Amino acid sequence: MAEETNQGVWGLVIDLNLCTGCNACVTACAMENNIPWVGEEDAGYGRSMSWINMQRYWEGEYPEVSPSYQPVMCQQCGRAPCEPVCPVFATVHSESEQINLQVYNRCIGTRYCANNCPYMARKFNWFDYAYNIPEPMNYYLNPSVTVRRRGVMEKCTFCVQRIHDGQENARAQGRAVIDGEIMTACQQACPADAIIFGDMTDPESQVSQALRSQRKYVLLEELGTQPKVTYLKGEGYYGG
Amino acid sequence: MSDSISRRRFLQLTGLGAAAAVMTGCGPASRYVVRRPYTDMPEYARLGESTYYATTCTECPAGCGMIMRTFEGRAIKAEGNPAHPVNSGKLCSRGLTAVQGLYNPDRIKGPARRAKRGEESLAPLSWDEALGEVKTALSAGVKTAFLLGLAPDHLYDLVSELAETAGTAKPVRYGALGMFEARATLVEAARQLFGEARFPFFDVAGADLVISFGANFLETWLSPVAYTRGYSQFRRSFGADKARGYFISFEARRSLTSGVADEWHPVVPGSEGLLALALANLLAERGWNLPVSSVDPAAAAEAAGISLEALTAVADRAAKAARPLFIPGGQALAHSAGLEAARSILALNLPKGTLGQSGGMSLSPAAADAASMKDVQALVDRMNAGQVETLFVHGVNPLFELPAGLNFAGALGKVKRVISFATYPDETALQADLLLPDHSALESWGYQRTLAGTAASAIAARQPVVVPLYDTRSSVDVLLSAGLLPYADEVEFIQSRLLPVLSAGGGNFDAAEIETFWARFLQYGGWWSAQGAQPAAQAAAEAAQPVQPQSLGEGKFRLVVYPTQLGDGSGANRPWLQETPNTSTTVMWNSWVEINPKTAEELGLHNDDVVLIKSDAGEVEASVYLFPAIRPDTLAIPFGQGHTALGRYAEGRGCNPAEVLAPVLNAAGDLALGDTLVSITPTGRRRPLSRYESKVGVYGEH
Amino acid sequence: MKKPLPWWQRPWVRVTAGLLVFIVLGGAVGGIYLSQQPPEQPIQFPHNFHVGSGIPCLYCHPGAQWGPVAGLPTSDKCWGCHQQVAKTNTSPELQKLAAYVKNNESIPWVPVFIQPDHVHFNHRPHVAAGVTCETCHGDMTKMTVAEPIRGQNMGWCLDCHSKQEKEKWTRLSDCATCHY
Repeated sequence: MAEETNQGVWGLVIDLNLCTGCNACVTACAMENNIPWVGEEDAGYGRSMSWINMQRYWEGEYPEVSPSYQPVMCQQCGRAPCEPVCPVFATVHSESEQINLQVYNRCIGTRYCANNCPYMARKFNWFDYAYNIPEPMNYYLNPSVTVRRRGVMEKCTFCVQRIHDGQENARAQGRAVIDGEIMTACQQACPADAIIFGDMTDPESQVSQALRSQRKYVLLEELGTQPKVTYLKGEGYYGG
Repeated sequence: MSDSISRRRFLQLTGLGAAAAVMTGCGPASRYVVRRPYTDMPEYARLGESTYYATTCTECPAGCGMIMRTFEGRAIKAEGNPAHPVNSGKLCSRGLTAVQGLYNPDRIKGPARRAKRGEESLAPLSWDEALGEVKTALSAGVKTAFLLGLAPDHLYDLVSELAETAGTAKPVRYGALGMFEARATLVEAARQLFGEARFPFFDVAGADLVISFGANFLETWLSPVAYTRGYSQFRRSFGADKARGYFISFEARRSLTSGVADEWHPVVPGSEGLLALALANLLAERGWNLPVSSVDPAAAAEAAGISLEALTAVADRAAKAARPLFIPGGQALAHSAGLEAARSILALNLPKGTLGQSGGMSLSPAAADAASMKDVQALVDRMNAGQVETLFVHGVNPLFELPAGLNFAGALGKVKRVISFATYPDETALQADLLLPDHSALESWGYQRTLAGTAASAIAARQPVVVPLYDTRSSVDVLLSAGLLPYADEVEFIQSRLLPVLSAGGGNFDAAEIETFWARFLQYGGWWSAQGAQPAAQAAAEAAQPVQPQSLGEGKFRLVVYPTQLGDGSGANRPWLQETPNTSTTVMWNSWVEINPKTAEELGLHNDDVVLIKSDAGEVEASVYLFPAIRPDTLAIPFGQGHTALGRYAEGRGCNPAEVLAPVLNAAGDLALGDTLVSITPTGRRRPLSRYESKVGVYGEH
Repeated sequence: MKKPLPWWQRPWVRVTAGLLVFIVLGGAVGGIYLSQQPPEQPIQFPHNFHVGSGIPCLYCHPGAQWGPVAGLPTSDKCWGCHQQVAKTNTSPELQKLAAYVKNNESIPWVPVFIQPDHVHFNHRPHVAAGVTCETCHGDMTKMTVAEPIRGQNMGWCLDCHSKQEKEKWTRLSDCATCHY
């Protein structure tokens, strides 16, 4: 069957040369993926749920002090440290999309996966944050994404609902997915176009072209996690 | 015995568990349990699929195009309009959270009368009575005044027409974003240099060197999404054709924008004009056609607190650049010598002859119609003199946004009738006698002339994406109901305003008559043409008079107040804007005072110590944040928090720095807020800030 | 003199506790039972008659061929035919329809084949793969209002998925195909 050929390996490239740290990706992700806010106190306890962390580092001493910004989300590791520790197989590897899945209805909230994640990309629903969103603010919740309950772990999914949607549209029209057709919410919002998403097995895709850059590196490469998120080092003074 | 009890307990618990499981299985969260199909389905709708509407973001006046995803009549997600000339499919955090404004649980749900100002209790009011009140108010002619926000444009046009034909007072249009960016100063400087009162547009994308004087163009300045897009092109390199652009920033604190600069020079706030004159002298030595002033570069560098070598290096780099841009931002202009600074900085863009070209400066086509603080002051004076019988307020929250020293609250007390069109119960609505809530932006018609995000002419279309949730009514319709203008309703008024554009042609679509034009206008999300107004190249102007920055007394600090993603403060009721961490400090949900760690050490201050910031105009309290990239003689407070109203997400958080701003105006009539000097006193209390970068509470550390 | 019983041994405490257990358990069992019953519908819609008279399923539920949900017909669509049907004026059930149309109200149908929030089902690929409607929804010629299929759970889905071609199995058994 034609539709079974080449599902693709999804990859994300973030160009730190262009990232301005504006946080549009963080907000876009939250609005797309029904990520609830937790309030000031819980946020202070480090319980905020955003799937993208805008990490900021300072280097140097005043006046030669400079920041670098780096958006970090789930790196969708090829060999993910979170997967083998889950006792209920809620954290599994998707063979068809080549990403890490979090199956909410299996998760029992042991939080082993979050403890084992070197990128601090996993977020835990300590309370029923999403279910406590007051009427009518819950109207904007995206029907394509599960609203998570208390006691469930969650993380970046590479906007798998958009991947499915794109593949489904292409299949319905009897064609292959066009590069750039499937966009993650963060990529779509990024005003600097610093985020590129696409199929890494297609040598002509934008993401593959970006991956040929000499500036590329992955986070904590020495752990051998084989992340599918690649960063392009800033060309100036900053950017990892 | 105890055995059986425990067994019974166990059974009880399992029973509860089973019941809970059954109940949670049918929790309606994002789907309905009862389905109500359409009675008459619109042709474009497809069951189970999202419908997308093109509209315009009016969270700030930049006028970015937005595509709203709607599903079963609910607005789900804001996305950028890829065809729009300003934002090309991109959006910032504010636009993305627009749905949290639409579905805010604290919205004003219908017209109401307030028995006593400042009290929350309201008496219900029918729209018929409300319209009667409006009609009476509008018949009072010049004693009826309007204070409008920076968006939307069609309401401003309507009120302006009302002022012409019905003799009401000319509307005053003002907002905090205009105040912090000293927009009137920028426009006045452009008028003095080019003869036209328009906003300059800087084509960052085509430049090879950008020198910013306190312009936070990647955050809130004029049209941040458009400028970030330009910055993205500026930073890219394409082999031999285009090298990576170089970015130099002069700013007292390393803001998000300065954060990505290749060179950051922490200059004394208010010394930017002097620096620009010094730079002009240095560049004139290097062969640029610039008028020479009496400023000594060494003295200017010293006054600005940087080294002469650094300044000369900047001049050398600028002299070598093919298409350098010099951008005057709010922090350089909101000073008593702001107009001179604006002229000096803008004049640096002239000698290279790149005006109106790629990588150069041009003037944005829309006329800048926002007022300055001077006009607001005039309105306050008229209110104080009892010359205002009715004040209409729309799209602005003067009691929060304006400096307390202006005493707008006192002047409001002298107005007989205050009518607020506010969608949210903000501070000004709390002092209004009548609440006639407007639809929220996503339920409204309208248009917005794009402010300064493109050199092209563009009118962005706003249309409702969902039916109004509550018993609200469009303010334009409310004003038209008085029968003073010959339009039947809002749409007819908007269409009449589009007729000149229709006949001009040359835009992104053509239409023979207004119905077709209107349909396309809504479908594309607006009308735009590639042609823009080009500024006439002017002869090199005379150099401005050098003005020294204000001297600093003992124990005094300079204060930088800057807008964040909360914009003019109206974003504070969006929980996700509150929880999106400020990138530089990672603080969420609160205000903070940025202070250099060295200064803090001298003063014995630590992170999270609550301090009192006091100026001649007022005082505020906030927690200390040790910020490594700010001048030791300068403090900074973000703007947007400190609400006493505006709903559950905004109230009672942080402080409002507008309370310490001195009501001093510059030559263009803008607030010289950069000249505010403050003292800092520890209160001995601590209030930990919620920061993303630390885990206060969990590990007991700060 | 008898020593007073501790409170947990008093008969009324035990009877109350026992009753509570029964109520809670009964509620649970009843809840599960009810979830397998056809819910109360605003109109006793006779599927058997409509399907029997040769109207294709997709005429009223066209969404199944192009998208995730099959959809419920608008009352306009019902009325399109029924205003020409003589029985509309006599049958009490059809009078309800006439009332909804007259008042321009939507009919509050209760969906029967509803999936929980964490399951994302899409009709289109199933219809495209040649799965007939009655495979999942039962034989509508034998029902009036729609009735749920007993035990339609994940095992039921996978049972069918596992019978497809081997090369499809990777995708058809992937968690993210339905859960995200």
